[in-house]
Amino acid sequence: MKHLPKHLRPRWRYLAVGIESWPDAKIGRRAFQREVWYAGQNLLGDPGSADADLTVVRFAFEDGTGEALVKVRHGELEAARAAIACVDEIDGSPVGIFVRGISGTIRAAEEKYLGRGGQVSEERNVVFGNEERVAVVRDGSADVRLDDAFAGATDLDLA
Amino acid sequence: MYEAVHARPDGDSTVARVAKTAADYGFDGVVVLNSPGTHATYDATTVRDEYGVDVVDGVEVRADTKREASGSVGNVRSTHTVVAVAGGTPALNRFAVENDKVDVLTHPMARGGDFNHVLARAAVENGVRIEFDLSGVLRQSGGRRVRTIQSLRKLREIVDYYDTPYVVSADPASHLEMRAPRELCALGEQIGFSSEWIESGLREWGRLAERNRRVLSESFIEPGVERGRYEKER
Repeated sequence: MKHLPKHLRPRWRYLAVGIESWPDAKIGRRAFQREVWYAGQNLLGDPGSADADLTVVRFAFEDGTGEALVKVRHGELEAARAAIACVDEIDGSPVGIFVRGISGTIRAAEEKYLGRGGQVSEERNVVFGNEERVAVVRDGSADVRLDDAFAGATDLDLA
Repeated sequence: MYEAVHARPDGDSTVARVAKTAADYGFDGVVVLNSPGTHATYDATTVRDEYGVDVVDGVEVRADTKREASGSVGNVRSTHTVVAVAGGTPALNRFAVENDKVDVLTHPMARGGDFNHVLARAAVENGVRIEFDLSGVLRQSGGRRVRTIQSLRKLREIVDYYDTPYVVSADPASHLEMRAPRELCALGEQIGFSSEWIESGLREWGRLAERNRRVLSESFIEPGVERGRYEKER
């Protein structure tokens, strides 16, 4: 179909979202999209989530941290922010989620808020709570592998 | 703005990790609300210097009966800046709001608890803050979440009418369960709170900590009487 004249095209905003989980979490783009829409529908209802759109347009996740770009209709930003805050678990892994910023174009959002990665994570033997453990250390944070779970720590907690 | 958190061994993350995340999310401080039996070991000064986030040593008394709670509150009052009582049952809610040693009544609507005008008035009189616990809205789903939102609304209407002091928290038990203040405000707007209301509730933790630190400090003798510059050690 012929595309719309400029004044009739919807105006979009792009939310840059930071995602965090335990190092063993496997989170794919489809799973993230499913959870975001699910959260939107649960909190905002069908009409609200239809208005907000909430399509994931960029996604990356590796080793327990990731980032995504979520497309939102201009004027529904606060509703979208609330819906995104309600994503608490993806495929059984608890996630922390944080809106880093908002831009009017994908490119601006990518340049300003995404691709901050760069901090390499490394596995290290550490002493945590008087016991020797393996931890995934990144940028001052450490996820310490316990017997059947992880513990969130920082380099202040490690000996 | 402050957030009340549960740190290891009460939660999954250490105080330092929670503080680091709080700094990233734009909080000014965290109140550690572990139960008396799960005391977290941390050095508040080091954490504050490293991440620029104030760490308040709090405690959340969890008891099944009024008697148990009363004993615990007496034990922890002099050693902690913020003393909270986990509510739920009518007896515990009533105990908390009628006791001026208690600073905060946390999740009054949990475990089938309820709140009414009598408790609201008592809370005003004794300066007990009522907690609005957003964890259920963030992390539950279906009918349970509906009931949580209903109970928050009821609580809000009562607290609003009687001008009861209140605090707001997402009650995180790890750094992953934390949410930034702006997200909490946006969420509040969806369930009928104004964002100013949520912000003021998050700030109240900080005001509370500041007041209690002054009261617990050595220069404070009683309201209106403080150790001044002419006071000599004897």
